[in-house]
Amino acid sequence: MGDKSTPLLAVLQLLRKYNLKGTEEILRKEASLGDAEYENLDLPEVELASILTAHHTESDPYSYEFAYESLKKFIENSLDIYKYELSTLLYPIFVHMYMVLILYEHTTHAANFLEKFGPEQEDYYQEDLKKFSIVKNKDQIKGNELAEIYSSNKFVVQLSRDASSQLKRFLHEQKTTVIINIINNHIQIEVHDGPGRSLAQIRATAGGMLGEATRNENRTKVYYGLLKEPDIQLPPVPVEDEEETEETPDKPKKKKAKKDNIFMKKPKSDPNAPPSDRIPLPEMKETDKLEKGKALREASKRVHLGPDSLPSICFYTLLNSGHTAICADICDDSTLLAVGFNNSTIKVWTLTPVKLRGMKSAEKLQDIDREAGDVLVRMMEEKDRDTCRTLFGHSGPVYKVAFDPFKNLLLSCSEDSTVRLWSLQCWTCLVVYRGHVWPVWAVRWSPHGHYFASAGHDRAARLWATDHHQPLRIFAGHLSDVDCVQFHPNSNYIATGSSDRTIRVWDCLTGTQVRIMTGHKSPIFVLSFSVCGRWLASGGGGGELMIWDISTGLPAATLPPAHTAPIHALAFSRDGTILSTGSLDCSIKLWDFTAITEEVSGEEIGNNSTVQKDDRFLLRSFPTKNSPIKDLHFTRRNLLLGVGSYEGSS
Amino acid sequence: MGDSDFVYGSSLSIDSMKVIAESIGIGSLGDDAAKELADDVTYRLKVILQDAMKFMHHSKRQKLSITDIDHTIKSKNIEPQYGFLQPDSLPFRFASGGGRELHFIEEKEIDLSEILSAPPPKVPLDVSVRTHWLSVDGVQPTVPENPPPLTKEIQKLESVDPISKLNKPTNKDAAGKPMCGKAARLKASESVHVKQLATHELSVEQQLYYKEITEACVGSDEGRRAEALQSLACDPGLHEMLPRMCTFISEGVKVNVVQNNLALLIYLMRMVKALLDNQSLYLEKYLHELIPSVSTCIVSRQLCLRPEMDNHWALRDFASRLMAQICKTFNTSTNNLQTRVTRLFAKALQCPSQTNNENGVGPSMVTTMKESEKTPLASLYGAVQGLAELGPEVVKVFILPRVRWLGERVEGALSGLGGADRQAAGNLKQQLLKVLAPVVRQLRQPPDLPEEYKRDYGYLGPSLVQMVAKQRSSPAGGGGGGAVAVVTCTPPLVPSAPSPSPSPSPLQSHSHTFSTKTVETVATRNVVISASPTPQSPAPATPPPQKFVIVASQQKPPQAQPASGASHIVVHSSQPAIVRSQNVQSVVVTSGPAGAAPPQKVVVVGMPPQAAPPASSAPASAAHPSHPPLVQTASHPPAVASSASQAPVSVVAKPVFTRGGGGGAPQPPPELDDLSHLA
Repeated sequence: MGDKSTPLLAVLQLLRKYNLKGTEEILRKEASLGDAEYENLDLPEVELASILTAHHTESDPYSYEFAYESLKKFIENSLDIYKYELSTLLYPIFVHMYMVLILYEHTTHAANFLEKFGPEQEDYYQEDLKKFSIVKNKDQIKGNELAEIYSSNKFVVQLSRDASSQLKRFLHEQKTTVIINIINNHIQIEVHDGPGRSLAQIRATAGGMLGEATRNENRTKVYYGLLKEPDIQLPPVPVEDEEETEETPDKPKKKKAKKDNIFMKKPKSDPNAPPSDRIPLPEMKETDKLEKGKALREASKRVHLGPDSLPSICFYTLLNSGHTAICADICDDSTLLAVGFNNSTIKVWTLTPVKLRGMKSAEKLQDIDREAGDVLVRMMEEKDRDTCRTLFGHSGPVYKVAFDPFKNLLLSCSEDSTVRLWSLQCWTCLVVYRGHVWPVWAVRWSPHGHYFASAGHDRAARLWATDHHQPLRIFAGHLSDVDCVQFHPNSNYIATGSSDRTIRVWDCLTGTQVRIMTGHKSPIFVLSFSVCGRWLASGGGGGELMIWDISTGLPAATLPPAHTAPIHALAFSRDGTILSTGSLDCSIKLWDFTAITEEVSGEEIGNNSTVQKDDRFLLRSFPTKNSPIKDLHFTRRNLLLGVGSYEGSS
Repeated sequence: MGDSDFVYGSSLSIDSMKVIAESIGIGSLGDDAAKELADDVTYRLKVILQDAMKFMHHSKRQKLSITDIDHTIKSKNIEPQYGFLQPDSLPFRFASGGGRELHFIEEKEIDLSEILSAPPPKVPLDVSVRTHWLSVDGVQPTVPENPPPLTKEIQKLESVDPISKLNKPTNKDAAGKPMCGKAARLKASESVHVKQLATHELSVEQQLYYKEITEACVGSDEGRRAEALQSLACDPGLHEMLPRMCTFISEGVKVNVVQNNLALLIYLMRMVKALLDNQSLYLEKYLHELIPSVSTCIVSRQLCLRPEMDNHWALRDFASRLMAQICKTFNTSTNNLQTRVTRLFAKALQCPSQTNNENGVGPSMVTTMKESEKTPLASLYGAVQGLAELGPEVVKVFILPRVRWLGERVEGALSGLGGADRQAAGNLKQQLLKVLAPVVRQLRQPPDLPEEYKRDYGYLGPSLVQMVAKQRSSPAGGGGGGAVAVVTCTPPLVPSAPSPSPSPSPLQSHSHTFSTKTVETVATRNVVISASPTPQSPAPATPPPQKFVIVASQQKPPQAQPASGASHIVVHSSQPAIVRSQNVQSVVVTSGPAGAAPPQKVVVVGMPPQAAPPASSAPASAAHPSHPPLVQTASHPPAVASSASQAPVSVVAKPVFTRGGGGGAPQPPPELDDLSHLA
């Protein structure tokens, strides 16, 4: 009864959709359907089409197995230049066949089908497949995260022109329409003009939850250059506050930028830089400028790093923290360390002999002469000093803490779905930003302060300004949790990494997605832009490290797997020559980033060729004594600081 | 559906559903319903677990915890399950029977009043930050905060399977040495890889370290030696120097045995001890050098210049414990280490008779006398001690059958003329009694008749019977529970002195007895001989005034207690005590054998953590000497030896209790207190 009624119901639903009442009535009578079944006409819209187109084969569950096998055979027998591209079709077709089998309640066949062909799918899909395989009947398809993603989105497959015509020929020869229906309904075939890609090329970009990123999606120009550093001796360039109404991405406004930059220190302007007023940036305060000046002085004493002069690493071990410490951050001038804990608290330590001081009470503050030169010192409490302060406020584990560039403020995000802004002067919570619905996984400051971005379990990233209690932008598009977020050094873009194994770059101005990058084989937990702004490094749950070229949106390098556990910390040295990664496998690794980028620049940019590199980029690995790495930070003089929590000798 | 689909997950069984239904009072759950429920529950549980993984990942953990599941449930708008808290992983127990298998959590009934009355638990330590250098200019310093460059497992693997190292040419670059300059370029270009012969080249720093350490270990500065030994025992990353260290030790033993330089032998053994104690080293590859050295120090005919004066017995005891520790640590079914070592010692006991001793027929007196020249008593002592440390079973099998013969040897030597021989015989006898008593006690039923013992064990029978009787009567039963201090004040066995009463010593073997003897010779020299926890009264010493102080105590402060007996004093109380002998009244003895003082060997065998405070630092009350914390003692030089050749060394002698990790003695290691507060 079940397998018979499904197409009938589908037809009935279709008739109702087009409001053909008469026909509907007759059909109902003729099929002698009960009222109960009639009422339950809620088949998913997309499935409707596939059911209707497939209805004549649906009665035969074996046809799926047969069709899949013949497709497999066709792909295996095709020429090598087509073979690898075509094989990317197998997984989506497999998944949708399984879904159709479930929908028609051929549960036994579905299980057999899964058992037979599941293990031979690509290794990076196995995790998904395991998650998806828990769906064992029709009711579970509704509401299952993965099933919804698969049925409501199209899987993207890129084929060369020849390969796609091969495929077409094969499909025409087929007796059943099973595969053709799935391709029509659930797969988006992008045809490109180049030659067929090799296995390595495909592997480099494959792995996304819904296939590869298409080239069309990454055509928008991205201004990956850096903004001019404001000259701290001069008053900063006045920035216009008006937002541009229309953005023409293909027309860089270099000239205007140049005019503004006359007073800048570096006379040369970066051709890829966005106009300095593209995003309104806050004016720097006097104290901020002092801080900036200090940073520049420090930077002049910086050690130059390279493969032959590796940085020293100072490691901060959190003792007695067990599994309670979750995240850590070190402020830009490396004087403060903040750690977020499982028990909703945040602790801030000072890393220098300077103690942490609280601000005086309001009454006492009134007595202070505001014109005094040392007003900033005077307003701080004299007695109340500590090397560690605890911030209470969250009601769930704190998943990320972040110091603002001028170390006055601290942001934290938590399982309680809020982002909190804390003052590091009075040591209290200033603002609670509510907006996320579910736990917030990540929060990051813009390099210029004022703005920050957050990302969470609700599959969206948000852009905020500290003075607004509502988000300025919501970046939606990821198919699964957004696990990490990172600002571009020029504050114009943010990058997000997600459990759907894609990295997306969003334009803060327009709120649109400008890049989507696939190639990761596991969820992405940490992102970091290179100092020059062109490259993006990303660390995944499987311990893999990838380098992306923002200008093209293509993977620049897939570094050989060196870590055995998720990477949760990435840091570029201040001169951009060394990349350091820290992982839960209790080791810090240093990579020769100069060599990586030189390698890429040497290659033809634009073709999808990224070959697996050998391990010559890995400079060194430093294990710790069972302390998983929570954070890495380069000081302004290029000393690497690491933070980890000791988990006892096992 | 309910089928075993192991590739893509399993599901709850219908039986489980029924059990759960019964537990909430639904008696008859139909099969269909149960199956339906099982499928649904499986699905929902898996969905929750999948989401809990996200929480786990974001907590930067690799182990799912209950809070992750709580948060997931909360995020699905379901009330979390309160009250399930488990800081560590759930200890599932497994039970099977009647064809059913069950995993369950052991839940104990807790008495609330007990909890209420109990003192509140300790507040957990607050999180603190500790800083150290993980790398200095790209080189990981080998400090205790950093893991050893080569983990013990890898060292072990290398020693078992040397090829594994060749298979991983990159592991050195990735983990160990900096790759720079020529090596790096060579590696980058596709050059032919030539297998390097010397895989253990040392950096300049390492060479310096090696030089410093070896000099300090055998030098005269006790402070430096303690530091050096501490470094050897604790520092990670010494594995590259191990071959050289071991060669140093083995060569050193070879040379010093010939020269009878007892002090240096002791230092070398302490080095071995330190290396053995180092957690990051795996010594198996070097046992071929270490074992001969250690066994030399156990059974060598002569270890010192004046066997009748110097306490080479302590060295033999110490080395025996080292050997036992080595056997315990490295014995595997492939190397049969313990068997081989046991055979080595057993041979020493067997050698002279050449006859089958096991049949109980002892060799005739004549042969023994004749053969006795072949195996000196000192070697016999070493062999007995070495076997004794390997456990009571070994004693039973290898020593007990030879008791009669050994007894004859002892008897012969005691009645003989040679002073050294008599002393050795006395020691051997005490040692035998101590070793054998517990074993015999286990073997024989209570009526201990001297005649039977005499019949079975020959000369040693009567002594043994008393020893056993004493053990049986003592309540502690050899457990060595209370700390007991036994002070022996015995006139030393000098050739002219009357031999100590041949009667069995009343020493309780269940208590630790330490004969610690301080001999103060000329001026500043403090000499302490601390013997092992063996009841080894008459400790050999120089004839003139001297004091014997045996202090054994664990935690309790010793009490001074006057003793009267001239020979052996046993304090039965559980209180440690310091007793002065009658005939040695003066505690500070300044005169040695007038001017004669031949090279005074000082023997101190020490294990740093249990060392007492330096003598100089404790002029305090004799009644309540403070027991130093471990940390403090570790930083202090635990022992001293000086030799005449290093003339003006002002050495501070400290008694040190030594105790090998292995051995069969189950007693906890006591501490030896300082002697100087008697001054």
